[in-house]
Amino acid sequence: MSSTPFSLYIPRDSGMHRLHPLTKLALVGFALILGLFLPGDWLTYLAFVLVILPLAAWAGILPRFLPAVLKTALPIVVSLFLVQGLFWPGGTPIFHLGPLSLKQEGVTFAIRSAGRFIMVISSFLLLTFTTRPDGLMLALSRHGVPNSIAYVMLATLQIVPRFQAKANTILDAQRSRGLETEGNLFIRLRALFPLIQPLLLGSIVDIEERAIALEVRAFGRAGPKTSLLMLHDTPAQRVVRWLLLLASLAIIGWRVYLGLAA
Amino acid sequence: MNLDVEEVSFTYPGGVEALRDVSLTIAAGEAVAIIGENGAGKTTLVKHLNGLLKPTHGRVTIGDWDTREHSVARMAARVGFVFQNPDDQIVEQTVGDEVAFGPRRLGRAAPDALADATAALEQVELAAESKTHPYDLTTPQRKLVTLASVLAMHTPVVIFDEPTMGQDARGVALIGRIIETLKAEQRTVIIITHDIDFCATHFERVVAMANGRVLADGPAGRVLARADLLATTNVEPPQLIRLAQALGLAAAPLSVDEFIRAWTRRNEPDRRA
Ligand SMILES: Nc1ncnc2c1ncn2[C@@H]1O[C@H](COP(=O)(O)OP(=O)(O)O)[C@@H](O)[C@H]1O
Ligand SMILES: [Mg+2]
Repeated sequence: MSSTPFSLYIPRDSGMHRLHPLTKLALVGFALILGLFLPGDWLTYLAFVLVILPLAAWAGILPRFLPAVLKTALPIVVSLFLVQGLFWPGGTPIFHLGPLSLKQEGVTFAIRSAGRFIMVISSFLLLTFTTRPDGLMLALSRHGVPNSIAYVMLATLQIVPRFQAKANTILDAQRSRGLETEGNLFIRLRALFPLIQPLLLGSIVDIEERAIALEVRAFGRAGPKTSLLMLHDTPAQRVVRWLLLLASLAIIGWRVYLGLAA
Repeated sequence: MNLDVEEVSFTYPGGVEALRDVSLTIAAGEAVAIIGENGAGKTTLVKHLNGLLKPTHGRVTIGDWDTREHSVARMAARVGFVFQNPDDQIVEQTVGDEVAFGPRRLGRAAPDALADATAALEQVELAAESKTHPYDLTTPQRKLVTLASVLAMHTPVVIFDEPTMGQDARGVALIGRIIETLKAEQRTVIIITHDIDFCATHFERVVAMANGRVLADGPAGRVLARADLLATTNVEPPQLIRLAQALGLAAAPLSVDEFIRAWTRRNEPDRRA
């Protein structure tokens, strides 16, 4: 199957790709909860290495997955360390850089937040890289999720590549009129300003057109709909999904208990 | 300034081979129309002419510049490019500022850029709207604004990607007049169009594309008269040529005058033979 427009889906013939979309959702959701609710600063990273990375490797997408995670997370992670590490109010200095000093508490906070951020980004990317958006939407609505909510989830997953494609077109149009976008970081940042208006206005126009398109295609009609897409599910996968759900709830419960006990 | 496309192939990152071994030379002052069905590679080809895309194989030169060696922003001084969709181009809050954007980026002082913008807006008959927010105009009007934005840059080469799409008869006539003005000024005009009658009226040379290749390239009268070839690109010859062919005339008239001349001389001895 070729890639669908405006989705990050990477077509591969892997076990991960063949899983039922809900099983993937459960796996990735479990990894996310593991990362966000485990206590301590390092367990999040452990969840990334022990759950997310093996899944990405199983899907055969590591060479594209790792750079994507890095590219998305790096700017935030670096600024977290700089801002929290250097400007933590009070705190214990562990390192002096001229007039500034790196604070123990700030660094700890940055490690914790960066881990969570990486976890959120990587589970989002893992899901979108391995799941056809139409398959996910179908799976959700088959399992009783209202169409409108399934659609909102889907649209959210698609918003990144849509924005990317549109931003590139706009940037091309600006470059063609002499806006310099190649060169040092400053030039490239400055080139981003003229993007804002067409991106925002364009998105509003898009939303309206999508709404009309959905309406004329009977999106609001009640009752089940037939789909051309076939989803493959197995009893084993159903069991795994329930186990993952229970495990996720257990982690949350345990964390709440720890919080109450403290 | 000549445009040279030398044995260019281009493959998109996704793997679509959009151009296959295309060679084309366009001399300064030529008016060239590129036709062909959707997906033929027309937009991909013209995006090579201002460096937005760099050839996977082959070479594109604009005058003495190889597009690989210059940024698109620098190329903008030589090649103006009007995109298909106006909503991807407009960045300013008023029509006047929008049209002045290009001249400003090319380094012209504010008063000069403003004068360029005013003149260009007069050309597209939107001078009265210079203080209007572009999004308060209709889509065809916004398209004319993007046209003016490029006219104001006074580039020796101007490229239009489907300029008449969505315009009413008056808009099409206006764009036709603008193209004639550019031709009179000896500027190179390159257009992508599905409007075959428009193409016959204003362009001396026609390039027909299909599947990333150039199928035919030559004088409009010759390319547009080849119904067999046009059929493979899903295009019909212009009405006048079809009428002439149906009447058994040997000529391929591109204008009403040419048609009348061919018709009145139909009984003269065939000089083609
Ligand atoms: N950004 C892109 N990424 C991948 N493929 C593309 C892109 N733009 C165009 N294509 C493909 O390249 C081919 C030629 O497209 P294009 O040059 O836009 O054709 P035309 O302008 O003649 O309609 C088509 O098959 C199209 O799907
Ligand atoms: Mg096109």
